[in-house]
Amino acid sequence: MVPPPVVTGLSPNDGPPGTRITIRGENFGAKATDLVGLTICGYDCLLTAEWKSPSKIVAISGPGKGLGDVIVSTKLGGIGTCNVKFKGYKNENIGPMKDSAVWVEETSFYPWDRHSLSSSSFQQDDPLGLSVEGTERKLSEDDLNEKFPNASGDITSENFSACWFLLENHLATSFNDLQAGLLHLKRKVEGQKEGHLSFLKTNVGAVMDQVDTLILLKERYGTDLDEFGSEPTLKLEKAIKESEREARKLYDDVLTRRDRAEKTRNALNVLSRFKFLFCLPCSIERNIKKGDYDIVINDYMRVKNLFLKRDIPVFKMALNEIERCIVGIKKQLHVKLVKMPIHVDEQKRLIRYLINLDNSFEPAWDAINGHADYLHTRMKQCYEEHKAAIVEDLNKSKNSNLSSKYSKFTALHDTNQCPQNVIYVEEMCDIISELFPDIWKLGQSYFTGELHVKVEPGHKTAFKHTVLNIMEVFCKRLRAAIIPHTLDKNMDRNTYEAWTLPDIDVMAVYLPDCLRYVRLSLANPLHEKWKVEISGSHNGITDLPLNFERAVEDLVQVISESVLRSEAREGPLLENQQAQKEFDKQIEQLLLTFYYVLDSLTSKGSSDDDDDDEIRSPIVSQLIGTPSFVYKSRNHNQKPAWEHRLLMTLANCQYTMNSVLRKTIEAFSKSGYNISPNIIRKSRTDLENLERSILESYLEQKSDPLVGTIEPSMYLGRFDWDTNITPTDLRPYAKECINNLIHVHFEVNSISSKLVDSVLPQVVQTIAEELYRLMSCVQKFSTAGIQQAHIDISALQEFFQGYSTPRAKDHFKEAMELIPPLNQKDLTIVEDILQKCRIKMRLQILCLQKS
Amino acid sequence: MAQCGGVRVHQNQFIMSKKPTVQPALHKVIMVGSGGVGKSALTLQFMYDEFVEDYEPTKADSYRKKILLDGEDVQIDILDTAGQEDYAAIRDHYFRSGEGFLCIFSITEDESFQATQEFREQILRVKNDENIPFLLVGNKCDLEDKRKVSFQEASERARQWGVPYVETSAKTREHVDKVFFDLMREIRARKMEENKANNGRGKDRKKKSIKSFLFCYKH
Ligand SMILES: Nc1nc2c(ncn2[C@@H]2O[C@H](COP(=O)(O)OP(=O)(O)OP(=O)(O)O)[C@@H](O)[C@H]2O)c(=O)[nH]1
Ligand SMILES: [Mg+2]
Repeated sequence: MVPPPVVTGLSPNDGPPGTRITIRGENFGAKATDLVGLTICGYDCLLTAEWKSPSKIVAISGPGKGLGDVIVSTKLGGIGTCNVKFKGYKNENIGPMKDSAVWVEETSFYPWDRHSLSSSSFQQDDPLGLSVEGTERKLSEDDLNEKFPNASGDITSENFSACWFLLENHLATSFNDLQAGLLHLKRKVEGQKEGHLSFLKTNVGAVMDQVDTLILLKERYGTDLDEFGSEPTLKLEKAIKESEREARKLYDDVLTRRDRAEKTRNALNVLSRFKFLFCLPCSIERNIKKGDYDIVINDYMRVKNLFLKRDIPVFKMALNEIERCIVGIKKQLHVKLVKMPIHVDEQKRLIRYLINLDNSFEPAWDAINGHADYLHTRMKQCYEEHKAAIVEDLNKSKNSNLSSKYSKFTALHDTNQCPQNVIYVEEMCDIISELFPDIWKLGQSYFTGELHVKVEPGHKTAFKHTVLNIMEVFCKRLRAAIIPHTLDKNMDRNTYEAWTLPDIDVMAVYLPDCLRYVRLSLANPLHEKWKVEISGSHNGITDLPLNFERAVEDLVQVISESVLRSEAREGPLLENQQAQKEFDKQIEQLLLTFYYVLDSLTSKGSSDDDDDDEIRSPIVSQLIGTPSFVYKSRNHNQKPAWEHRLLMTLANCQYTMNSVLRKTIEAFSKSGYNISPNIIRKSRTDLENLERSILESYLEQKSDPLVGTIEPSMYLGRFDWDTNITPTDLRPYAKECINNLIHVHFEVNSISSKLVDSVLPQVVQTIAEELYRLMSCVQKFSTAGIQQAHIDISALQEFFQGYSTPRAKDHFKEAMELIPPLNQKDLTIVEDILQKCRIKMRLQILCLQKS
Repeated sequence: MAQCGGVRVHQNQFIMSKKPTVQPALHKVIMVGSGGVGKSALTLQFMYDEFVEDYEPTKADSYRKKILLDGEDVQIDILDTAGQEDYAAIRDHYFRSGEGFLCIFSITEDESFQATQEFREQILRVKNDENIPFLLVGNKCDLEDKRKVSFQEASERARQWGVPYVETSAKTREHVDKVFFDLMREIRARKMEENKANNGRGKDRKKKSIKSFLFCYKH
């Protein structure tokens, strides 16, 4: 037996008449025709029922009011049951202008619909004959439902409950009115009881008319039936169908065209509204070609903000396309980033792009590593190139062994013949000084956060390790090339194959050069760091000028607060001539005071320093290479030796002139006061004078003993220019002279490399002058003497070239002219010995070379 | 129960073979949540094993059927309410009749998750009961790739409210039965508790303990 249908779901569960309801449940029949009945709230709604499935029917509610069942009946299952209730509202006319929460069928199916259009048969007059109350005081239908379950206020309903009706409609009606209403109702009922007959009596004419009309209607219907058959609507139906077909023919075309046009218009609208998005892939490509990555990134960000959250497929597609582009760009940028060689600034820019593009890898770190790798490969490359060159060289030298041995000395300065190792070292140094600063800079900006990247915790040590590693590899490679025996025997010699060295003598000559080169290349990157850490490159200055500077700045602050800035109602102080003058004077005093401080620092007989006298007194025979004050200054509470103090003060002096003074002036002018140029000029002259006098006293201190030793040394061991000792080398006095100058260079340089240029030329000049004087005193030269003099003077002239003033040069030349000229044979001898000297004294020459 | 009188007449008429039974317990469940989160989809999946692809905003739908809850015949009454704001005004009225609530949001839409806060507050206000049976449900969990609300975030909120959190999919039927059955168990437990209280026994027992018991039961 087929079970009866049961309704278990209603959607929606309430609504006015005409509500479209989805009814769900079980056993609604196997096909549409199985459905034989449907009532909603007691009203038959089968006509509107649409069978969808055995568990689903869609129907439209009828005029049933209040809570009621929805009962489905099927052919085989019979009348069903209902678990859920539908609640019909009072018939409320939902016109086209009224908002409705539910879907209301607009086509009318029912006769009661027509009624509701004309007037209302449901909204009957009040049965009590009372006026209908306003809506202000009303019990809700739910409350009534609760109070009178299963009842209804509908007067036509089976379950009509009078209480409900009264509570619903006459809550505010007075008792008297109700009584009157009752009377009215009774009267009406009475009237109806006897009314049937009397009604007919009074209206007999009309009733007869109606009967006649009905008969006539029946006759007409009969004839029509004969004439048109039993299905009078068939023709009509056909005609309607026909006309519908025609209409379709007429309009389908137009309609489809219109649809298409509409679609196209929509699409165009979308396109133009979101042109930015759709054109982005193209514009990205264009901008990339132009290199405008900034614009690309900007656009990308914008698009991401605008469209990422939208779930529209077209946008998604476009976004995907863009995303693909961006991924491509990222890859491209990254490749660019690690492709060497590349400029650091360019790299920084790339890093910024990549970060902005939300990159998954760490561009900064990659860049650093890329650099390091590149450096390593470059070093390796360099090594291999030279290795190959050496092999070639060896082959060659085997063939021409003799010639190369001969050229040992003469070819030393010929770079073509320079040992491959040395060229290799130079090139390695070049590589390091070219590439290493980049790594350093990049690392610095990475760790200081300049690149706006989060620094990974482990990277700091890793970076340190990288840098150290580079240095270590570099050093070891160099060692392998020039001093392989210093390599660690087991490990390093395997990794860094020792080079075949040329003759050790030859090599030794080049070692200082190599050293100088290496030092230079390393100084470069490190210098950079110093610059950051010490303000300015004025090495050799002490705290003094800086302290002064700071003091002045503080002072300016006070001054500007108390003097320069005039408070309200306080006349500008400086308008007063007197005050102006006074102020100027004070500033002058200030600058002067500092000058005095500097001056007093250098004054010789400073009372607190007795030992100084001892040191200053020139000891002729003192070899300046081992200055006595080194020992003395130890037990002198770290007070620097007087010469050093001189140099320091000199440096301070220069710094004050170049920097402090300018800053002071700036500080004043910033707070609105311009120091009069007179004062500045005066202060500057003072400082210049001071500088000069310090320099003089230092020179005196240094060059006096230096120059003083030349003459005694020259004639040491009873030498004279007319004795006939064949020259083999420079005379000791010349060597001593050179060494002394080197010492001065060292001392000055250790305080401040800047001062070297102001001190050394002066010393050289006095030396040259002294030589000239000495030469002019020589009465007689032997041949050997002539040769020796030529050797000495030209060697000094040559070695001191770098620090020779024009006057020094003149003196040298004059000294040379005093010596009798050489004949051709002697000239070669002299040249030979000079050449030997040059080789022997390479180190010394290097020291005095200008870097 | 009186409302069902009409139904029972028919039942007696056509299912005569059965001896007259006691009407099974009725548990009233209300589906709340923003529009489009899948309240109707969950309900229809639970009721009829079907998944509706089209979105048709609900006003208020009623469903009721007999089910077996832990061996006991019960009736579940589901009121599927409107999520659309247009109907917000009529919610109070519905909530009053609810015995338990499934508060649904879609894990693919953060707004719907945020809205659960409001629903929760409204329910507590209307029911005036902190311990009303209540489940926080994250629907559409089959759309993992579109997820906007993390599991942690949602469970954190559930923890704060002291309610269970379950993720469902009306599409794949995942955990659909679970949420309804879990909620009904809570409602049943709640009713038993109240009965005892009304009978004067076990008055001192705290609701809290029942609550925590339910918790263990579910997880
Ligand atoms: N993929 C997926 N889609 C779902 C799921 N649940 C519901 N949907 C879809 O989401 C849309 C809305 O679902 P409904 O159940 O009608 O939403 P609702 O919460 O009832 O909405 P209102 O009635 O307006 O309150 C429909 O298109 C469903 O097909 C789910 O679990 N997974
Ligand atoms: Mg819905």
